[in-house]
Amino acid sequence: MKIARNALTFSALLALAPPPAFADGLMVQDPWSPAAPPGAKVHAAYLVLQNHGDETRTLIGVQAEGYRAASLHESRMTDGVMTMVAVEQIEVAPHGALELRPGGLHIMLMGPTEARSEGDAVPIALEFANGEALKTQAIVQRNKTHASHGHAGHAM
Amino acid sequence: MKILVFVAALLMAAPAAAQVNGVQLDAPEALPEFALTDHFGRDFSKQNLQGGWSMVMLGFTYCPDVCPFTLGNLEHVVAEMSLRVRPQNLPKVIFLSVDPDRDREGLKDYTSYFHPDFIGVTGDKPEIDTLVEGLDAFYRFVPKGEDYEVQHSASVSVIDPDGMLRAKLQPPFDPGPTAEFLSRIQIEYRKEAAK
Repeated sequence: MKIARNALTFSALLALAPPPAFADGLMVQDPWSPAAPPGAKVHAAYLVLQNHGDETRTLIGVQAEGYRAASLHESRMTDGVMTMVAVEQIEVAPHGALELRPGGLHIMLMGPTEARSEGDAVPIALEFANGEALKTQAIVQRNKTHASHGHAGHAM
Repeated sequence: MKILVFVAALLMAAPAAAQVNGVQLDAPEALPEFALTDHFGRDFSKQNLQGGWSMVMLGFTYCPDVCPFTLGNLEHVVAEMSLRVRPQNLPKVIFLSVDPDRDREGLKDYTSYFHPDFIGVTGDKPEIDTLVEGLDAFYRFVPKGEDYEVQHSASVSVIDPDGMLRAKLQPPFDPGPTAEFLSRIQIEYRKEAAK
């Protein structure tokens, strides 16, 4: 894709519009941040990052407005114990996707500087090794689970 | 601890992707005596885990990812169970904060956010440790710069109306299958009690 030579300008324009956001073959889908209790000192944000390009892209950092700091983390379960590890960088394979989701890779948002409520948008910038940044907005919403809420087939 | 591992057989109608990781103890285990405080400041002891079903999870409020997700899922689990069991058999959800220094103050706001009936519990470290050990769970503080983070068991402990540890659930706590698993444990419990 040639249209996004200046990714910053391009994504800045897109920041005015709702997601999905693009930058040079990269696309963010479904960026969201679980609504959290008032007073919570840390929040999380999730999204799916798709790489439609022919080159591996390396996510090296994240910035978020309205927070003291933001970073990439991964929750891991080892022998039944949850631990969180900081992630320095993550590669996204050509034509591959990276899923940030509850219980796995996530954006940790530390020290909110203002109150937020459902429907608010958290401006987030994903930073890549080639210097590019991809902006998106994570929408604050109630926790989504993977499970369906279908009520078919109760056996009892 | 003797644990009979069985991953609950999926019900016929359950979607292929949904699963429950339920681990039932081959013999329920009594909990030790402990003295903690709930998020209203009331005493919370072993007796508060008797007379009804409870699910106890360990956590801390500075946990951005897993704890809120688990609490959210447990809310869905209880909602699913309300379709299956009588109201008096709906499990209470207990959020046991193992990080009292940071959590004591905001515990009520935090816990009741996920459901007004959820109960946050914490207290002095020795008392927390007693209950954690009784639940066959684990946590530790790991220094991180000037801060620290908390590593903790991901499982949720299922306590029966006699206050006995009866089963443990492992993530991801898919609401439908988890509710089904818990409902079945309740049926088994009543059958045993009727003998």
